[in-house]
Amino acid sequence: MRTLAGLLLLGLSVAACADPATRSADSVFPFETRLVSLDNGLHAYLIRAGAPGEVAFVSNVRTGSRDEVEEGRTGYAHFFEHMMFRGTEKYPDYDEATSSIGAARNAFTSNDATVYYLVASSEYLERIIDLEADRFQNLLYSESDFRTEAGAILGEYQQGALMPGTYLDRELRLTAWDRHTYRHQTIGFEADIRGMPEGYEYSLSFFDRLYRPENVVLVVAGDFDFALAERLIREHYGGWEPGYVPPAVETEPEQTAPRDILVEFPGGTLPIISVNYKGPAWSATDRLAVATQVLGAVAFGSNSDLFRRLVLQERRVQSLGAGFGLPRDPGLLTIQTMVNDPGDLESIQAEIEATVERFQEELVDAQFLADTKSNMKYGFLMRLETAQDVAFALISFIINTGGIQAVEEYYATLDQVTAEDVREAARTYLTENRRTTAVMIQAED
Amino acid sequence: MRRAYFGIGTLLGLLILLVSGSSPGARTDYDPERGIITLPEPASPFIAFNIWLKVGSQNDPEGKEGLAAMTAALLAGGSTTEDSYEQIRSKLYPMAASYGYRVDKEMTVFTGRVHRDNLEAYYTLFSNALLKPAFSQEDFERVKSQTLNFVERGRRYGRDEELSKELLFSMIYQGTPYEHPAEGYVESVRSLTLDDVKAFYESVYLRNNLVVGIGGGYPRGFADRVRRDFDALPAGEVAPVPAPEPRMPEGVKVLIVEKATDATPVSMGFPMALLRGDEDFWSMMAFNSWMGEHRNSFANLFQVIRETRGMNYGNYSYIEAFPLGYTTQQPPVNVGRRSQIFEIWIRPISNTTPTNLHERVLFATRAALREVAKVVDHGLPAEEVERTRNFLWNFTVNWGNTISRRLAYAVDDAFYGLPEPGYLAGIRPGLQALTPEGVNEAIQKHIQAENLWIVFITRDARNLRRMLLEGVPTGITYPGPRPEAVLAEDREIATFPIRVRADDIVIMDINEVYEGR
Repeated sequence: MRTLAGLLLLGLSVAACADPATRSADSVFPFETRLVSLDNGLHAYLIRAGAPGEVAFVSNVRTGSRDEVEEGRTGYAHFFEHMMFRGTEKYPDYDEATSSIGAARNAFTSNDATVYYLVASSEYLERIIDLEADRFQNLLYSESDFRTEAGAILGEYQQGALMPGTYLDRELRLTAWDRHTYRHQTIGFEADIRGMPEGYEYSLSFFDRLYRPENVVLVVAGDFDFALAERLIREHYGGWEPGYVPPAVETEPEQTAPRDILVEFPGGTLPIISVNYKGPAWSATDRLAVATQVLGAVAFGSNSDLFRRLVLQERRVQSLGAGFGLPRDPGLLTIQTMVNDPGDLESIQAEIEATVERFQEELVDAQFLADTKSNMKYGFLMRLETAQDVAFALISFIINTGGIQAVEEYYATLDQVTAEDVREAARTYLTENRRTTAVMIQAED
Repeated sequence: MRRAYFGIGTLLGLLILLVSGSSPGARTDYDPERGIITLPEPASPFIAFNIWLKVGSQNDPEGKEGLAAMTAALLAGGSTTEDSYEQIRSKLYPMAASYGYRVDKEMTVFTGRVHRDNLEAYYTLFSNALLKPAFSQEDFERVKSQTLNFVERGRRYGRDEELSKELLFSMIYQGTPYEHPAEGYVESVRSLTLDDVKAFYESVYLRNNLVVGIGGGYPRGFADRVRRDFDALPAGEVAPVPAPEPRMPEGVKVLIVEKATDATPVSMGFPMALLRGDEDFWSMMAFNSWMGEHRNSFANLFQVIRETRGMNYGNYSYIEAFPLGYTTQQPPVNVGRRSQIFEIWIRPISNTTPTNLHERVLFATRAALREVAKVVDHGLPAEEVERTRNFLWNFTVNWGNTISRRLAYAVDDAFYGLPEPGYLAGIRPGLQALTPEGVNEAIQKHIQAENLWIVFITRDARNLRRMLLEGVPTGITYPGPRPEAVLAEDREIATFPIRVRADDIVIMDINEVYEGR
């Protein structure tokens, strides 16, 4: 029961009970879904999933640290996420309003997205929609609260600032990017964070330009009445004025030569090699983009020949991993490994380069390709247990395309990916002039 | 699964069942004689495993600290007599499935989850891992090297806040089998051999020392078959480890770890005689939730230190061990212990000028201690008890949101010997029975602010030590105006006493941390 036959069964067995009117029998996404579209540009997906009596309400804002284009304002997408919990005129104490219904709620920010979520008993659906619609339209905070919250951001920055992975990523981005905002981490540059208390006015304009209905997609997943939810969403979000102003994110100029950086980590670590290539943007329909993700798994993933040899057989590295998940704009394809012996650094780098060359020349084994597709599809389906899981599994599709139709498109494209496509992805993207290599070693005392 | 959801006959209901199993009310069955826990949710497409071994880091022989964890790591990450580890990984790969382990002080669990299409193939791999280990030297060397890298570098130069929490437990449990972290010390891990692992496996992986837990949509007869398979292990006795009896510190005792950093986490706490199933447990759960519910901003410590003053990212309190709290919003499972502590976790406090780190760190420490002292002196008002009850009433439902978690809670119920209906289903009746008097009596019985351990990880440890000993008042400044009420409270916090003697402050370099016992 390996490979795609098993997959199909999974899809079918779950799908068989869904409302046939809303989805076809061979859909990958196995839940009854309704799309609610408002005139102001807001979209909401209602999805029946998860445990009885529970609802997950997720607000996907298609804004992340990628949108921080102004000098000195890195970290504001994340900072703003914090301010969204500071209340409104109607609900001055958001903490109290959500704790009184026992809601589990939080938010996170990434390069491309800010996502707010709230999981609670379905009986509070009306309250939840009122609360969330209200804060997205009528957020209210004083300059004094704003300055106070800036301190919490500094604390959050410090939690991870001296961890090896974070440290390396910070330096890598500065080397790999010249213009694009992927140059900074989502948390922002430390100097900008320390300057945040002075940014109150800027934060208001941030809210005004980016927190608009055309830039937000709601996912309501759980056990609830669709008709009631639709009515409430229309009622509470219908008056939200459109006015999204897309930030002018600069296109990264084409890289013309390989880049290298040596990072000295002020603490104990084994050496880390991070080899990165400028890759494509996320796409559900571009076969080469999807094949690039397959390439990461087959060449450098946890079942690749290289992993088997370096991690399991020869034990020359602690770990080896591929980060070939694609962002909204063309981003970095990352191969990272932690090397046991500092004297082995050059030869491990050569192993990575030889593997790149191999996948530019050879075709991936057909069974391994099929297994990898199966892994990717099962990986998606195995996540879909709770209402929150289901809503979260959709985030990347929504952030990159604005909707969830991309789920079906993406897996249809994946089905079509051939060994030749995978080789083409290696030839197109894993080239020397797209490469940035960072090596991090322990600093001398 | 004998209650609640059988009546739903619509397609809609079926879909919900199919995808989610059911809610925390599902019926578990524990047979202690046979050592099996079942949580059938027949309509679910997922099957979860939780194999509980009644062994933990407390069973590590002296000088071999880390052995229980290393053994579990090798079983979950090694070859079997049927398949090499490479083959196992290849077979699991198309299913996107895996299995893992957790080792705590008293418990070892092996967990897995699979779609029912792949149950047979998966179960063969999973059960072989535990029943037919190959103990290959190559696998052992890999796992040992990864563990050594963690204890020598990763733990010391990873998340300081997680390290400070681990150190707090080690300080409180000095001289007991709870003292060392599950992964062991640098020296003890270095000394571990494959023969140690084999001998440990043979001595504690016994059929009468484990409980088989299975949940979800498994076929009829499957659970019995699994139990029978595990009966192939030999029988035997594992010498019981007495429950630890940590000493209540006299006054404030301090560990300062010297490390070059601009931000300092603080962990503090003291031992507490309170376990699940105790009369006071629900009262203390309510108190703790009000004081510092994990990752919830409405709670008191969060409000005082972060929300009002913006000093750090969060501040929480615990009445049960909560390892890896930075990774999760939900309570951990399978960390059952016969001894618990009251713990406060202050996330890293950053400097705001090059010289004010320690002033701010001590201000936050004082603020937290003052909150504890206040509630001991003045009690918790009835309306706060009510507010907390309302919150927990719905909030805790989410704790059992997956089959794996419901099953793990059932295993924990078996660990604690909880009667029906068990912990999760017992929360609401427990909350219903709360009274403000009961909560305040429990606070008086269990909580105090004079005798405790405090752990700091910071630069210039000697300066922090000096400030503690001299009782230097520690103020706070803000980037903007604050209300007078806040400033007045700040003045009280600034001089809140931390009574500590020179002999009770230990300074340790980061590179000495967990080097050896």
